[in-house]
Amino acid sequence: MKDYLKIFLLPFSSLVFGIFILMLIVYFLNSYEIFKREGLAIYFTNVWNASEIPEEEYYGVLAAIYGSLYTSIIAIIISLPLSISLAIFIVDYAPKRLKEFFIIASDIMAGLPTILYGIWGAFILVPFLKNYVMEPLYQSLSFIPLFSYPPTTGFSYLSAGVLLGIMVTPFATSIIREAYRMIPQMYKEALYSLGATRYEATKVLLGYIKPAIVAGMILAFGRAIGETVAVSLVIGNVFNIDISLFAPGYTISSLIANQFGNAFVYEYMVSALFAAGLSLFFIGLIINILALYIIRRWKYETY
Amino acid sequence: MKRINTRILKDRIFLLGIIILSLLAILPLFHILLTIFIKGFPVLIKGGIEFLTGTLPPPGHELGGIGPAIIGTFILVTLSSMLGIPIAIMAGIFAYEYPNSFIGRATRLLLQIMMEFPTILVGLFSMFILVTPMGTYSAIAGAFALAIIMMPYVAISTEESLREVPKDYKEAAYSLGLTRFQVIFKVMVRIARRGILTGILIGIAKAAGETAPLLFTIGGSTRVYFEGLDKPIGAIPLLIYNLVQQPYENYHQIAWGAALVLLLIYLLIFTPIRLKLREVRL
Repeated sequence: MKDYLKIFLLPFSSLVFGIFILMLIVYFLNSYEIFKREGLAIYFTNVWNASEIPEEEYYGVLAAIYGSLYTSIIAIIISLPLSISLAIFIVDYAPKRLKEFFIIASDIMAGLPTILYGIWGAFILVPFLKNYVMEPLYQSLSFIPLFSYPPTTGFSYLSAGVLLGIMVTPFATSIIREAYRMIPQMYKEALYSLGATRYEATKVLLGYIKPAIVAGMILAFGRAIGETVAVSLVIGNVFNIDISLFAPGYTISSLIANQFGNAFVYEYMVSALFAAGLSLFFIGLIINILALYIIRRWKYETY
Repeated sequence: MKRINTRILKDRIFLLGIIILSLLAILPLFHILLTIFIKGFPVLIKGGIEFLTGTLPPPGHELGGIGPAIIGTFILVTLSSMLGIPIAIMAGIFAYEYPNSFIGRATRLLLQIMMEFPTILVGLFSMFILVTPMGTYSAIAGAFALAIIMMPYVAISTEESLREVPKDYKEAAYSLGLTRFQVIFKVMVRIARRGILTGILIGIAKAAGETAPLLFTIGGSTRVYFEGLDKPIGAIPLLIYNLVQQPYENYHQIAWGAALVLLLIYLLIFTPIRLKLREVRL
């Protein structure tokens, strides 16, 4: 007997695949021109010569790649302790009514339109960080390279990193929370019956869900690196590679968001931006596959 | 004796640390919601009904309205739902019904990857596929990008909620002599409809709030309401993004007002999701 269901459903599945593969093809095709011209140097140089004369054009997106990695790492450093603490608090210590409320609140915030984080970041967070964090640190500790850039505008890696950290925390929390909640009650009881304090018990239990935490952080990193509008409003959008937290910069996605509008005027800029997108494409792909692999292996080993 | 004391001390410090860090995690989130209400509410009051229906004023003192953006967001969400949801549900059913076939496994993996994929890449793709050939920004191009973005949410939750339906129902349906087609669509999907609906709402919430995929696809009209699906259109998130970057004070105020409107729309879609989830849990 023919499986009509399969025949009926197959086109839809294929369509999803088709779209994804078409997307990959589009990125490769459009990047081709710039690869032919510059080779992989586009990823390893920091130049942005947009010119009316095609011969003088030269593009390198290193600054954007650097900024993407830098801000996402700041975000993860901020988000890691916050999301683990919040997950533990929600599962173990929050009173029952508060628990429900916290879960709803963090779910709402995890899905909140990112532009709302962006407007808050641009109008509230940036002035706050500039006045109360960057300027004091710059005045007293500017001999440290991290704090060495004068914070004139406040738009900086730090602002973007902090905003991303705030944005990914609810998302990371929900992943860690679900894993932590799934730990069999038996284990907790066993630990406490051995006379473990809450600190010692939690330490052991966190070790148990370590893969989930790692996967959660990788996914949070992926979210941070892919975020466009919120970052683009607070990072300053300057071609810059600086170790200082207070320096403005670019990220891959904010570079695309800012430059694509006028890219068609130039001969090679569109292609350069597609190449930048391609690098983001692969970063996204690798991060997601890695996180899925870690979670799957962990679930397979434990259940 | 001393050993016990340090253990208790550590325990206390740990507990204090957890509470402080949790507060630190929650605080900015509340501050964001509160700020949007505090800054947006006066704008809505001052602008009145005209804020929801009017068009963008010239840079200066007036508030005008965000009508085109609101209409645009509704059109984009409707259109992308019509495009994306049917395909996503079918793909989700496929991943559920054929979990061990190569295509079934690959579909599932692909959907999970797409769920966290940088959305700006989808926007760029849609621009190349639709905007360049058509020669103009359009509602279609934006809806196409949004449909791609909402699909994985709908598909994954379809697959997961089907998997949560007890096997007994399926076996019972088969034993009645129904075909595979009927078992899925007449029995399984109906039992799992609540979970599927949740996924649809999440997808819609996502589509309503996305900005990046609209940057190069819809053009963001602020003074024209609607001219056709093949013409430029506005959207609330894109409007906010553009206004924040302007140097004019009244534009910033409009941005806050629009942010509150977007937040309310988002909460309106999100609340039934939470209620649905709770119903299932009981």
